[in-house]
Amino acid sequence: MPANSALFAQSLTQWTQGTWFASVPIWVWALVSALLVIYMLALPFGGIATYVERKIAADIQDRIGPNRVGPLGIFQFAADAIKMISKEDYVPPGGDRFLFNIAPVLVVVGSCAGFVALPLAQYLVAGDINIGVFYIMAITTIIAPGILLGSWASENKWSLLGGLRSAAQIVSYEIPVALSILPVILISGSLQMGEIVKQQGWQSGHFWNVFHNPFTLIAFFILFVGGLAETNRIPFDLPEAESELVSGFNTEFSGMRFGLYALGEFVDVFVMCALVTTLFLGGWQLPFVELDKFMITLPSGLIALIQVGFFLGKTFVMVFVVMWLRWTLPRLRVDQLMGLCWKGMVPIALFNILGTAIWMWAFKGQSMLQVALGLFSGGGSSH
Amino acid sequence: MKWILLVAELLTVGSALIVAINPNILYSAVFLLFSFLGVAVMYLFAGADFLAGVQVVVYVGGVTILILFAIMLTQWLYRLKLKDIGSKFVVPGVVLALGLVPFLHRGLTELGKMVQAAPPEKMAEFAGSPKTALIGKALLTNYLLPFEAITILLLGALVGAVWLARPKA
Repeated sequence: MPANSALFAQSLTQWTQGTWFASVPIWVWALVSALLVIYMLALPFGGIATYVERKIAADIQDRIGPNRVGPLGIFQFAADAIKMISKEDYVPPGGDRFLFNIAPVLVVVGSCAGFVALPLAQYLVAGDINIGVFYIMAITTIIAPGILLGSWASENKWSLLGGLRSAAQIVSYEIPVALSILPVILISGSLQMGEIVKQQGWQSGHFWNVFHNPFTLIAFFILFVGGLAETNRIPFDLPEAESELVSGFNTEFSGMRFGLYALGEFVDVFVMCALVTTLFLGGWQLPFVELDKFMITLPSGLIALIQVGFFLGKTFVMVFVVMWLRWTLPRLRVDQLMGLCWKGMVPIALFNILGTAIWMWAFKGQSMLQVALGLFSGGGSSH
Repeated sequence: MKWILLVAELLTVGSALIVAINPNILYSAVFLLFSFLGVAVMYLFAGADFLAGVQVVVYVGGVTILILFAIMLTQWLYRLKLKDIGSKFVVPGVVLALGLVPFLHRGLTELGKMVQAAPPEKMAEFAGSPKTALIGKALLTNYLLPFEAITILLLGALVGAVWLARPKA
């Protein structure tokens, strides 16, 4: 079964036959689509998310937030960016300049590279690779050495403590995250992101994976909490805590270096939320409707737009929950954090895999809804 | 597309050279990270998609952090300047390392050329297909005993780590 990006390549080849576009090799189109996704989606999101977070924080704390720069303060992120770019290029004396420069770059590259495998719509995936889910997990692990090297290069004890804690936290919480992705892979039988979303449609009988069986419901929460820990968000943000470690691993970073850290963190939050959306909440699937087999044939551009809208909508709801939790929960102490991972989430995630495997074997891969309907209708519902 | 492979090979070999020659141990660890990334790209060109992902997760996300922790938490290790290689070994080392690149390149592209020129019945389809399912099936049928032995090894490593890190009462 050809990957969706191969279909995209074929349709592009047909579409551009006879024009001068046809001589452009396919890797140029691949590069352009990856750059488009990163520059038009990832980085603007990172910038606007700083403004949105401040507004949400203000709302939760019963104040107004940025309201001076533009209507409702909407250009605050641009003002922040200009301020950060114009700051002094300061490396702490005794700090390692090469590592100081390279650390934020690793963080941003790790987060933005995860964007290319996200399925925005049915035929709009920048790179629908065979190992999509695994690729996202793999490439976001580049962030941890970035944080660790940055904290060392700051020549600051408190930064080093923050960086060490952050690296330990990220490496530990990768395990429940990976183990929670496994039940979904068991259900879908494929690591390809487009495949996983396609199987969560209404016609195929499953609804969203989160409602497939009770174990995937628990796995959804484990993945979400693990994603919070991977991106150093509250309640797991001891590495960058204000009251404990000044500002943790990004204390000595000023100007655009700090901007890149913050950008990388928000982009990583988006990647984690998009991962949760794709795996558990049905990605670009509309509830109850398959746009391909709709009553009237819609133009494919409109279908793509609606699907992208649903994907972004679901992801933004998850991002809102992440931001909401920031101003609601207190932060965990580092031993509580590590204890939660190793003594709490890893056993639960392992139990989820076992439970999902037993469910798949006992009910022949049907979801809770199919089993319930099958019981009520008397005969077995076909999968 | 072949120039990407060449860039990856030069990145791997060049970073490995810097790992060996650089007197600063932390820079050695950082360039080891780039070397691992280059190897992952080379795995992709050899058709091993899953293995490339595993390379990044295990080596970049695990081993590099382990090495960095070891360097950062060892007292005064950072102050050591590694100068025990005499300079007479550097030039032959560089020549040998760069001389590895054409062999690597030839090896990684030869299979692809053979497949394109005269595809055996299912080879072309196999070369582009996802390998994850095949690896999984092989691990649970042909290679079941090594699989189980590796789990015992990993269990031993986990138990050893917990014992080594026990609070000394």
